[in-house]
Amino acid sequence: MDPTTAQVLALLFLMATVVLIVSARYFQGRADRRNAQRRIEGFAHLKAWSEQAIASNQPLHLAFGSAGIGEDDTAVTVAGAEIFRHIAERVSASDSPPLITTSAATTIPLGQAILAGAWHEGDSLARVQWYPQGTRSLAYAAALSGALPDEQPSAHILAGSFGAELALILDHAQRRGQGSLAVSDQLPGQAVAFAMADEVLIGEELFAAAPTLTDDSQSQSVAIVMDFWRALLLLTLPALVLLQVVQMQPWLQLPLLAVVAALLVVFGALTMRGRS
Amino acid sequence: MQRGRRIGTTFSAFVAFVVGITMTGSLLLGGDPKLFGEQPGSEQLAERLALPATLLLRLVAIVIALSIVIGVVNLLYVHITRLARGKFYSGLLLASFSITIYWSIAMQGDTSLLAAVQVPIESALAGLLFLSLVSGAATVLAKRTDVWGLLFILIVLFVMLASLPLAELALLQNWHEWLMHVPVSAGARAILLGIALGTVVVGTRALLGLDRATRG
Repeated sequence: MDPTTAQVLALLFLMATVVLIVSARYFQGRADRRNAQRRIEGFAHLKAWSEQAIASNQPLHLAFGSAGIGEDDTAVTVAGAEIFRHIAERVSASDSPPLITTSAATTIPLGQAILAGAWHEGDSLARVQWYPQGTRSLAYAAALSGALPDEQPSAHILAGSFGAELALILDHAQRRGQGSLAVSDQLPGQAVAFAMADEVLIGEELFAAAPTLTDDSQSQSVAIVMDFWRALLLLTLPALVLLQVVQMQPWLQLPLLAVVAALLVVFGALTMRGRS
Repeated sequence: MQRGRRIGTTFSAFVAFVVGITMTGSLLLGGDPKLFGEQPGSEQLAERLALPATLLLRLVAIVIALSIVIGVVNLLYVHITRLARGKFYSGLLLASFSITIYWSIAMQGDTSLLAAVQVPIESALAGLLFLSLVSGAATVLAKRTDVWGLLFILIVLFVMLASLPLAELALLQNWHEWLMHVPVSAGARAILLGIALGTVVVGTRALLGLDRATRG
């Protein structure tokens, strides 16, 4: 694909996303059309951990990892910040504000804004801690393992960019019986999170925090649009594979395939409707 | 107070919207004269459209560089506060920080401190990481007592076995290659596609000023 076509397609995709978000916002805003959001298991323990943090007067540990602003993982940082903002508001009744750690300096002001939004009093400056890692991510995990015993957090919520070093942090949490939720935009980190964390978010679930954790119609439009694109992808990918097969197998005919595909879509829709 | 806050959030949402639209338009439309057809002046138009993105990206680079200063100030503040509460390791960190700064000024270009301290410590940590990973894989069986947990362990064992350089395991190595190229690659792409979709939607939401970071 030449760069000009790619630019035009990107522009069209972006415009379609804008139109979908605005439409979804409009329809979701109407009370009679409001639908229940799909349940994401990873968020199930957040409420219990927040209550435990308030009751035990222990902080929660929130970590961005190496996710920063102004780089490729900016959206991951924004999505992680949305989770942290929600948690900070939930535990704002506690005397111990959460501890936010990061290894990207650009997220320090973001972390401080999250804490300042929930705690109007107290020192939020020292509650956001930067552990520079440079090109080696192990330094961040090692520094955290050294600093966390003093803080004694009740649970760890790790949403951002982590590599295999996540194993050190989760191992530390496991040994102390502290709960953990982890998600990473890096595949090694995601694999470690799946294996070792108590709760895990996978792929786009990180971006569904706002609609899942709040009852805000503006936020819920995001989940609807993501589900729409996801469904479109799920339909398009097999269709493209089928087209490829059709080109290789002359006995297969497109009209026949179209009828079978339409029947499958109708069957799927009826099954989904029956379940809901 | 409430009114002032509302004005502040409206202003920040407006700034986010204007900057976001300018940057996106500039990145998508600028720099490629082919988008405007074979007309005279299309090259200048493409260059002009690319200008805001170039300027804003330079500004971002400056802000990122400045954030390191914020980071260093934060690091010193946090550890001075902790030292005042009698935390020994923070004192050690501050001492190491001072020695490293002195070393880099006094012996410019010398990386022997890095080679003598940082590299061995990180190698030791990598060894520790291996142990943590093994222990993590073992706890999967206890935590995920479903078919996926079992599948995870079986595949870990299979990949580890197939990685051994033994001639007897040649068949396993062929399967390992297929496993990495087909199912693992497909799964990884699926996760990355999900992240990419989320990135586009969250980015568009921020662009429209609907994000809570901008609308308060």
